Amino acid sequence: MESRLSGILLVAVLLSGCSWFHRGDKKPTPVAVEEPQAEPSIIEPQVTRREVKTPKIKAKDFEVGAYFGALSIEDFGTNPVYGARAAYHVTEDFFLEGFLARSKAGQSSLENVFPDITVLSNSGRHFTYYDLDVGYNVLPGEVFLGRGRAFNSALYVTFGMGDVKFADQDQFALNFGLGYRVLITDWLAMHVDVRDHVFESSLFGVDKNVNNVEATLSLTTFF
Amino acid sequence: MRRLLALVWLLQALHVGLAHAAQPLLELVVSQPYLEMHSGPGRGYPVVYVVGRDETLTVLYSRTDWYKVRAPRGTEGWVRRADLSLTKTDSGEPAPIPPYPEFSAHRWEIGAGYGVYNRQNLVSAYGDFGLTDSLDIEAVVQQAMGTLDNRVIGSIGLRHTFVPEWKWFSPTAGLGTAYQHIQDKVPPAPLESSNQMAYVSLGARGFITRRFMWRADWRHYVVFNNLNVNEELEEWKVDLAVFF
Repeated sequence: MESRLSGILLVAVLLSGCSWFHRGDKKPTPVAVEEPQAEPSIIEPQVTRREVKTPKIKAKDFEVGAYFGALSIEDFGTNPVYGARAAYHVTEDFFLEGFLARSKAGQSSLENVFPDITVLSNSGRHFTYYDLDVGYNVLPGEVFLGRGRAFNSALYVTFGMGDVKFADQDQFALNFGLGYRVLITDWLAMHVDVRDHVFESSLFGVDKNVNNVEATLSLTTFF
Repeated sequence: MRRLLALVWLLQALHVGLAHAAQPLLELVVSQPYLEMHSGPGRGYPVVYVVGRDETLTVLYSRTDWYKVRAPRGTEGWVRRADLSLTKTDSGEPAPIPPYPEFSAHRWEIGAGYGVYNRQNLVSAYGDFGLTDSLDIEAVVQQAMGTLDNRVIGSIGLRHTFVPEWKWFSPTAGLGTAYQHIQDKVPPAPLESSNQMAYVSLGARGFITRRFMWRADWRHYVVFNNLNVNEELEEWKVDLAVFF
């Protein structure tokens, strides 16, 4: 009986001893940190995160506009011309420009002298051209209007090539021009241009280079 | 004259109003001893105003290498890019003036040029987008004006630049598909007025200055027609282009 009691005690001590040795191995029970919920925080952060967004600088290198003027079609008199132009200013000196215009040829001298002769049909009298040009500002400067106004201006030269459709035929044409640009404001400009479109024509039986000079007035806007 | 001036004023008010409605403008602080403002966007235009150190400028817009700015007291003028890039933002960082695009890593090209297509004068315009530094996709529209016919050719293709780091001269090769439309000038009319084509090309490209570049191309076209033998055409051209 006694020995049984001591045996139970011994087992109890051993078990408790074992549990004592393993006390360090116990996995720490996660302690739930109780946050003060109702209690207001002492320091309210005053700094709000600022969204730094750098505004972009708008580039206004493009110029578009319309023009009208007089085009002298070789052998066919001088006639009104209407067109549109668009330019991209690459540097302060150079720009690339495209032109698209239309005119209608009048009577040639031959048709005037001999009214029975018709050199061109009605549709063939349309003179349509496009040009792709490089321009160079030769003389930038200012023009003065009275005592208190100055406008920026530039004298420029253009050179390019394109297509002329005349007499129902497309011809490769070179063009040379001289222009003067006056900026009424920084975004509105007025141009006066003189340009020559040269191409080879055999309309009157002989191959020859024809010069078609135009003088135009343009109004353009930069954007 | 007065009416014209009134119209100009009205247009200007509209223009300025629209510009202001769009977005806030960049403000920069002069950190160099002084900053010169010119009357126009070019080196020849006179200096009309000087902004001192620590004064704030409002940048309105740019044209080529010049920036239109407004000084604290409302005076407006043009500042060159090199001068404006020395200024700082109000938090002291360098002014966010975009640098010139690096030629070897540019993305877009737009250009035009002259060439010879099947012994005819050729006017050509193209747009090109860089998929990587060495592989581009290009679209070309061109018109060939000959004595017998007039052709409009459109093409789209890929172009490989062998060594994009070579700045002044770098060889290229390409291939693509094209379409031509023929309008005859002199009878007899061509058997087909339009053809599908394919081409291979060899060429070169190089940097000129600032944003300008040149490009040259030789192309060999195969014209798919209804005859027994496909027609073959040759073309070369030289382009002047701007890159972004």
